[in-house]
Amino acid sequence: MNRMSKALAAIVTAGCMFGTAQADTLEIGVLLPSPIADVGWSHALNEGIAAVVEKYGDKVNVSTIENIQEGPDADRIMNKMIGDGHEFLLLGSFGYMNAGLKLAQRNPERTFLHASGYKTAKNFSPFTAKYYEGAYLMGMAAAELTKTKKLGVVSAFAIPELISTINGFTLGARSIDPDITVDVIWINSWFDPAKAQDSAKALLAGGADILFSNAQDTPSVVTVGEEAGAYVFNLNSSMKEYAPTKYLGVVKTDWAPFFVASVDAHLAGTFEGANEWLGMDDDVVVVEDWSSDISSDMMTRIQAMHEEIASGARHVYDGPLVNQAGEEVIPTGQRLEDGAILGMDWHVEGVNSPLPK
Amino acid sequence: MQFKLDRRERASRRMLLLTPLLAVLLSVITSSLLLLILNKPVGSTLHSFFIAPFENFYSITEVFLKFGPLLLIAQALAVGFRAKVWNIGAEGQMIIGAIAASSVPVYFVDSTSGWLLPAMIALGAAGGMSWAAIAAWLKTRFNANEILVTLMLTSIALQLLYYLLLGPWKDPMGFNFPQTVMFQNEALFSPLFSGVRLNTSIIIPIIFTVAVWLFMERHFGGFKLVVGGLAPQAATYAGFSAKKAVWVSLLLAGFAAGLAGMSEVAGPIGQLQRSVTSGYGYSAIIVAYLGALNPVGIVFAAFFVAVLQIGGDVALVSANLPISAVHVFQGLLLIFYLATYTLVNYQIRPLRHASSSTTEGQPT
Repeated sequence: MNRMSKALAAIVTAGCMFGTAQADTLEIGVLLPSPIADVGWSHALNEGIAAVVEKYGDKVNVSTIENIQEGPDADRIMNKMIGDGHEFLLLGSFGYMNAGLKLAQRNPERTFLHASGYKTAKNFSPFTAKYYEGAYLMGMAAAELTKTKKLGVVSAFAIPELISTINGFTLGARSIDPDITVDVIWINSWFDPAKAQDSAKALLAGGADILFSNAQDTPSVVTVGEEAGAYVFNLNSSMKEYAPTKYLGVVKTDWAPFFVASVDAHLAGTFEGANEWLGMDDDVVVVEDWSSDISSDMMTRIQAMHEEIASGARHVYDGPLVNQAGEEVIPTGQRLEDGAILGMDWHVEGVNSPLPK
Repeated sequence: MQFKLDRRERASRRMLLLTPLLAVLLSVITSSLLLLILNKPVGSTLHSFFIAPFENFYSITEVFLKFGPLLLIAQALAVGFRAKVWNIGAEGQMIIGAIAASSVPVYFVDSTSGWLLPAMIALGAAGGMSWAAIAAWLKTRFNANEILVTLMLTSIALQLLYYLLLGPWKDPMGFNFPQTVMFQNEALFSPLFSGVRLNTSIIIPIIFTVAVWLFMERHFGGFKLVVGGLAPQAATYAGFSAKKAVWVSLLLAGFAAGLAGMSEVAGPIGQLQRSVTSGYGYSAIIVAYLGALNPVGIVFAAFFVAVLQIGGDVALVSANLPISAVHVFQGLLLIFYLATYTLVNYQIRPLRHASSSTTEGQPT
């Protein structure tokens, strides 16, 4: 009898210890739309989370679920993560928005970060990168290296985030050479190697000699560039190994500072949901792996522009801005409002392709 | 000792009932081995798959949420399969059903009429049927293979969906994201309980199941349909039409799949978006066969597959299983079922030295 009660006591104590251990550990749940792989979007998000683990060690426990298609099943998985006690959720795709927001409203004490969306709540922050800042610099480099004065973009969806990136790229290129034009092919997919390849080849056949792989989670466009001898760059994570000689550079996203800051805020109880729109001055947009074929003169100009944009002295969307129809949108001396960039649904002059309507 | 397969004189009814159980058992054993290789805890993973879906009320309602469309589509497909009409494109018919139904809330954004939902039901069913009718017409008119036609029509349906979402039906306030407006409450089925996604649309598959059961088991039309598909010439002599078997099978599947698509957009999704089917159109094929193409068997099979899918989601989160492992497990089930199904028509006998019998069949 005595022995039994001792055993019981031991079990209860162990249970309590287990309980406290649980309470001290922050359970982080990560939901990703594609396989983590070696490159691309999910890879970049995963690297950001790795930085959180590095900082907090045993105090955080991360469960990552990759390759989950947007839709009712993703909703259920999120729900299950909440049920399993995850306090901090990172939802890695636009399509998780509506269900994620509902969960956030029902669980006000938990924190949600949501990629690429536009809805916000007290404990629900959408986050996007100001890719256009980096793309502007890439445009400058492309302007120096192009011979045909035609640049080609293979792009995922015609959403503001990607439209503003193409516009930034175009503005950067035309700041060096106003004769340059840009062709865009929208393939309506984040991950479709065959379509991305075909589109890249079509752009080259149309006269482009520089390629921009806009939000493609596959190195397909980069590989085509290397094979055809056209300079190429992409977003999110470096794909230099796929184009060792023709890699122009990468507009990388380093989510680590933002994720770490968000976890800090969550633990301190000071998290405030906001539309987090992060750029060079947040150290989230990082441009690197520059091609050695860019002249040192141009690199100096690019570095100078980099500092001006990061410091806020200059903005990619400073006037004058002219749209595809040739109408002035913003006059000299004025700057396009943030809201207009976040909801951008028009192309600047110099982009040949019409925007899908 | 060697064994051989002997053809049975008639299909074994006992084996027909046993094969699904055997398939489940074999896939559990094989997956356990795979889990051991993956270095995942076997016990807790199996727990995730088979027990966790029943551990709380929410999970149970989610099982039924999955059960509905699986049951609905599988019942209709099974009718066709029994008549040897191979409709592999329920997925496409489901997409068109979802599109047709969504046209109502997309064009009547501000309406709060009580007719929204009935109109969506009617259009969803009509949409699915019209898509299936293309395949039926091509089959009966040009003898075009319905496996290929229905499968390819699914790709076309998907492109149509993408076109609408990127173009005319895009939510004007949605920042160009490929999705429609969120539907108003009047265009949605009401949840059965507060806080869950299971909704009143669950009665559709139940009514449909009863209707199919009555038609196939109690009605002469069901028999004619099966004969029309199995033996077209015999059917013609008997005055049954093989063409009719094709039309009935495909239209019925289109009807059911269209309704299933409608129930998804007017249920858990609440808008038209790029992924509306959750793969039901394909999973339903597995369900139809696991249920031995029998209306009652399919009820159990649909429930089982629903549990397996919910369990798979749980295993992703709780047992940290990769999603491909979940798919492997679900695939094993079908493979083992098809393999063990051999035992319905054949039996395994030890191969003895022929001493007296000279009529022994060829060892296989």
